[in-house]
Amino acid sequence: MIRYPAFVLMLFLSAGCSGETGDTGFAGLAGLGNSRVDATGADTHYLQPGPGDRLSFPEDFGPHPQHRVEWWYLTANLQTAAGEPLGLQWTQFRQALEPRKATEPAPVATEWPLQAAWMAHGAVSWKGRHYFAEKLARGDVGHAGATAAPFQVWLDNWRLRANADNSRWQLQASGEGWSYDLSLSIEGAPVAHGDNGFSAKSASGEGSMYFSLVDIAITGEVTLGDDVLEVKGKGWFDREWSSQLLKTGQKGWDWFALHLDTGDKLMAFRLRDDSGSFRSGTWIPEGGHPVPLNSGELSLQELERRKGVPVRWHLKVPAYQVSLELGAPAGNYLNRGLYPYWESPVSVSGSHDGVGYMELTGYSE
Amino acid sequence: MSEPLLVVRGLSKQFVSANETVPVIEKLSFTLGQGRSLALTGRSGSGKSTLLNLLCGLEVADAGSIALRDQVFEAGAAAAKHRAAAWARLRKQHIGVVFQEANLMPALTLLENVQFRAYLAGRDPAHSEDWLTRLNIGELARRYPDQVSGGQRQRAALAMVFAMEPALILADEPTGSLDRHTSDEVTGLMFELQARHGCSLILATHDAELAAGCQQHLDLGHLSGV
Amino acid sequence: MTGFLSFFRFFFLPRALLSHYRRHPLQLVALGVMIVLATMLWTGVNQLTSQARASLAQSEQAVAERRQVLRDDGGALAVDDFVTLRLAGVCVMPWLEVTPSPGHHLAGQRLVGIDPLAAHCFGNSVDGAGALDQPLDGKPFVDIHTAAGISARESRLHLLVPASTNPSVLPPGYSLAGFSASPDTGELGDSFLLNLEALGVLVLLIAALLLRSVYLLGLAQRRESFALLHRFGVPPGRVQRWLALEILALALLGVVPGVWLGRWLATGLGGGFGQALEGLFDIPLYAGQGQGWLTPVLVMLAVVMVSCLGDLLFLRFRQRLALPLAVQAVVAAALLVTGLAMAWLAPSLLWVFIAVALVFAGAGWLTPLAVARLSHWRARLAKKPLVLWRYRELAVLVRRLTLPLVALQFALAMVLAVQALVTTFESTFDRWLAQRLEAAYYIEVPAGADGRKAADWLTSAQERSPDLQWHRVIRGSALLADASGEGGRQVDVFALAPISSLIREWSLLEAAERHWETLAAGDGVMINEQLARRHNLGAGDRLQLSIGGEPLDSVIVGVYPDYGRPVGEVLLNAGLLPASFNTRFESVSVTPGRPGIDRITEALRQIWDVGALTTRDNATIRELATGVFDQTFALTRAMTLLTLVLAASALLMMGWVLFSTRTWYFRLLVAWGMSQREVAAQLLRLALLLTGGIAALALPLGLWLTWALVHRINPLAFGWSLPMAVYPGFWLELAVLSLAIGLSIALLMRRQLSRPAALPASASALSGGER
Repeated sequence: MIRYPAFVLMLFLSAGCSGETGDTGFAGLAGLGNSRVDATGADTHYLQPGPGDRLSFPEDFGPHPQHRVEWWYLTANLQTAAGEPLGLQWTQFRQALEPRKATEPAPVATEWPLQAAWMAHGAVSWKGRHYFAEKLARGDVGHAGATAAPFQVWLDNWRLRANADNSRWQLQASGEGWSYDLSLSIEGAPVAHGDNGFSAKSASGEGSMYFSLVDIAITGEVTLGDDVLEVKGKGWFDREWSSQLLKTGQKGWDWFALHLDTGDKLMAFRLRDDSGSFRSGTWIPEGGHPVPLNSGELSLQELERRKGVPVRWHLKVPAYQVSLELGAPAGNYLNRGLYPYWESPVSVSGSHDGVGYMELTGYSE
Repeated sequence: MSEPLLVVRGLSKQFVSANETVPVIEKLSFTLGQGRSLALTGRSGSGKSTLLNLLCGLEVADAGSIALRDQVFEAGAAAAKHRAAAWARLRKQHIGVVFQEANLMPALTLLENVQFRAYLAGRDPAHSEDWLTRLNIGELARRYPDQVSGGQRQRAALAMVFAMEPALILADEPTGSLDRHTSDEVTGLMFELQARHGCSLILATHDAELAAGCQQHLDLGHLSGV
Repeated sequence: MTGFLSFFRFFFLPRALLSHYRRHPLQLVALGVMIVLATMLWTGVNQLTSQARASLAQSEQAVAERRQVLRDDGGALAVDDFVTLRLAGVCVMPWLEVTPSPGHHLAGQRLVGIDPLAAHCFGNSVDGAGALDQPLDGKPFVDIHTAAGISARESRLHLLVPASTNPSVLPPGYSLAGFSASPDTGELGDSFLLNLEALGVLVLLIAALLLRSVYLLGLAQRRESFALLHRFGVPPGRVQRWLALEILALALLGVVPGVWLGRWLATGLGGGFGQALEGLFDIPLYAGQGQGWLTPVLVMLAVVMVSCLGDLLFLRFRQRLALPLAVQAVVAAALLVTGLAMAWLAPSLLWVFIAVALVFAGAGWLTPLAVARLSHWRARLAKKPLVLWRYRELAVLVRRLTLPLVALQFALAMVLAVQALVTTFESTFDRWLAQRLEAAYYIEVPAGADGRKAADWLTSAQERSPDLQWHRVIRGSALLADASGEGGRQVDVFALAPISSLIREWSLLEAAERHWETLAAGDGVMINEQLARRHNLGAGDRLQLSIGGEPLDSVIVGVYPDYGRPVGEVLLNAGLLPASFNTRFESVSVTPGRPGIDRITEALRQIWDVGALTTRDNATIRELATGVFDQTFALTRAMTLLTLVLAASALLMMGWVLFSTRTWYFRLLVAWGMSQREVAAQLLRLALLLTGGIAALALPLGLWLTWALVHRINPLAFGWSLPMAVYPGFWLELAVLSLAIGLSIALLMRRQLSRPAALPASASALSGGER
């Protein structure tokens, strides 16, 4: 989910040349949305999701040019043929520099437009090693973008592509010394988080539209150096977009997406600021309806830090008798892109066993 | 009394500046005989140099007349061009002028200076070296002015003047920049040669001792302090 | 008492020192004007060359070790190509070079649009992406979106890849090539800048000589008052410090507006200079690359301080170094001879410039010595003491005026040589243009139209009216086959068909037997001088090309002159072009004869089925070419002219002032019985001898410099040679100018003679006068 802060910073830095003013970085996001005068002379403002907004498919698989930021995000807990766990990430971000109505045609490529910038992250974690790559592109030129139907998201030669009925996806990405080519089988309907898809990020109402596909069976090949590994396992796919996601003062977050052995799934996150934290989550019972969890319904406690990063956690959802200990495997899972953050698989023990993924931002190493 | 060489009558000269007229010489008259010497005294600014300039035609008088040899120059008369040419001829051949310093062309040797002056006067330059010898600087003939002392330069200036065999020598403080001893030597030589060659001499000086060596004395002092 | 002393120190002393300029305001004005002018000239030139150099360096550095992707079909790259390559996983970044249209505030200066997001894949360690980490502030980099939005006279997209890119990653239809901001023009652009810089240094040198002479003159006049101050008990060290302070203040007062004017000059000339650079060498002048204020201000301050106060600083050093005249003459002659020999043998432009510097140093040193020696010799021969005096006086003046005279000599020589070069080039260029623009009309083949259809029609039209002459012109590029397999250098292709009588009037630099016939038959090609020089090729040699991917091996039957461009070019029969050849430009040259141009264009319009045709007549093109030519030399001309004015006015002033200091001695001649008219005539002869002599001495130096420019520097700097020509008419003009300076000095002196002169005031006069 919320994995974009650095990206935002970078874009605002590079946006200096396009005449973009005002926002600088993280805090700027919480400020007022800026606007653009479109071809018809009308002011185009960023749209801000709020309670009552609804999801709409398949459109919401595609981009939201009138929102400031959004991402397509896949994490996967896989196993090699030898039974070793292998974690895998693919993320693509879109950051708008100018809002554009969805109905308005995109600017032509020959102008080298700068309405949006894209960033993709790919990572493979195996045997304590962490492979990571980052790609950047400007939007509307053609080498980076996303469409809802047929569903595809691409940046250069990294690509997520759905088949005609959106039941099977293919994902390809590569970096120095690694690559993967996966086939994803999409099972189950999208899970809307929060209030029918509006996921609050603070008590004062900032938030985003957020849904996930939590039942994805994955098979494919991961190549690490000379090793070609056959892999299979489970994936978790997030879609999230917003224009004003965080409140001023929020410093970072801790996010977890867990597959429990019982077939239940759990998403939980915590946003930290000086005065405490804002917690939220979704309990997705096997075969049942997803239940949003508010700050009081879940607790998160750090158990151990590794080089300043909390790597062991205690997560409790008392209402569902969930009391889990989450731990990252040995190794350093910092994604050393323009703005580093932690992205690692976790093992789950305690009231349930299971696997999952953890993202931590805002910790200094 | 010898025949008069120079007769000055009622000579006046004033300098005109922006807002006032300053009389420098007023109605001056005197006569100088051939072979005679005249000391011109007076404080600085009393008009000694101006009078000398008038007497050789480098400046023109406002009133009065100057009769020199067979020529009479009346102030204010027409034909200034003609008058200037006549003065130039006189200076070339008959009037030797010695200034306090810088009487020599710096780019010429002492000998060349004397030869140059003799040549201009139409005299035979061949005797030039003799003149230097007679002024006791024969061995310096091929030196340039900046290679000899001030006294030696003034001797060379006298050699130049005598080489032109002048009728009248106008000397404006010729030893003014020399020390006493050198000054006495140079003036001694000057008086000696002047007497021997029978030319007249007007010597402007503020040095009473020097003035006493002259046969006549004209004091412009009363005009000083203007 | 101490109060009085400090009052004296801080109030009276500077006032006493400055009173000199109250009495000689012209001297102050002259010093000021010289500092301003010299600063302006040098800063202007320096600003332009450093801008050009920084452009070169920055673009080269930014693309250092980098390569670019080209389309195999030779077509221009577009956004689609970028997307295709990125989607194939190739790390490629766009580099959009844009030359803004006239009217834009950066017209003529090139901007580079880059995409920092795309550059990300270049990483920041291996490929020196630091160079890409440029501020997008228009100096010259901007965001590519901004660049694409500029109304551009010219715009070109390059796609860069990291040096480590393996060709195997490219999708079919693309290949790798070296990337530099300009095509293969050898070291020409650099040499051209070096040329300009050398000119700038020469201007600086001349200005320094002049400044120094005026300032030293003033110092000589002030020696009296320094002596007075000394008697008042002011230590000499303090006077010197005040002098240093005074000249520093004066320098600052002159340098700052000078630098401002220089930058203004550079901006004014920037457009033309940019076009000239680009036209001649394909070096783009990137925007915003000029240097700041600090460097020119500091350099000029240093020049002013050293040229004025050098004596103060290096007096002891100089005294120790004072060589006997004979030794000086020998050293100067040795410098001169070494320089002459070196200019003959020098392998590169830098060495030629060093040689020129040696020759100038030798000549500048030797000239006053030789003139003094000559006048002494002439004086010895003199029978009349007056003639003797005149030559002796000349020797003194030459020695005292050494610096301005040498400056004038240099300036005259430079002006003479540059004029010869420019005029020669102009006439050669004119003749060449007349041959090149053989036809009366040039009709562009519109995009998509088939030139062959026009050819068919023209062939049949020619059968009906034989006085119609025409040929097709097809332009594009080819690669020189290179033994190293590096994917050789690009050359321009200039293809004609048929080889009509229109071009057979060309004068060739080198030709084989029956060259036109061979060319017409397609059995040989011709190359331009640039290509011939760069690859040491000549008639009879063989040339291997790759045209449109097809190899062509042909004999060279001629070398033709090709001015105004640095790029190598091959002239061949259009019949040799393979179908895969990518035509960049196609036109038909026509001398219509009886059918008339209107009938021909009407017919072609119908054949090609287009509304209008772009037709240019001979005169229009000639005008364009001449315009470019004028632009190219505007700077050079302006600089030489200004330098000449500077030197001439300095000599005039110096001459007058120096003559004035000798007024006493000239008046002495009057006291000795010469009439004022006679003395004035002597002074006139003296002044004319002085300035005429210096013009005469500048002539051999100027002739030699002409030779050096035409035969040594030009081929190295421009890539083509010129015949050497001399223009005695211009010499006469310069001689008249010199004599006019002499005449003016004499006239000014004549006025001065009619006033009573004071005893010479300088200290040296008291010891017998300057000799």
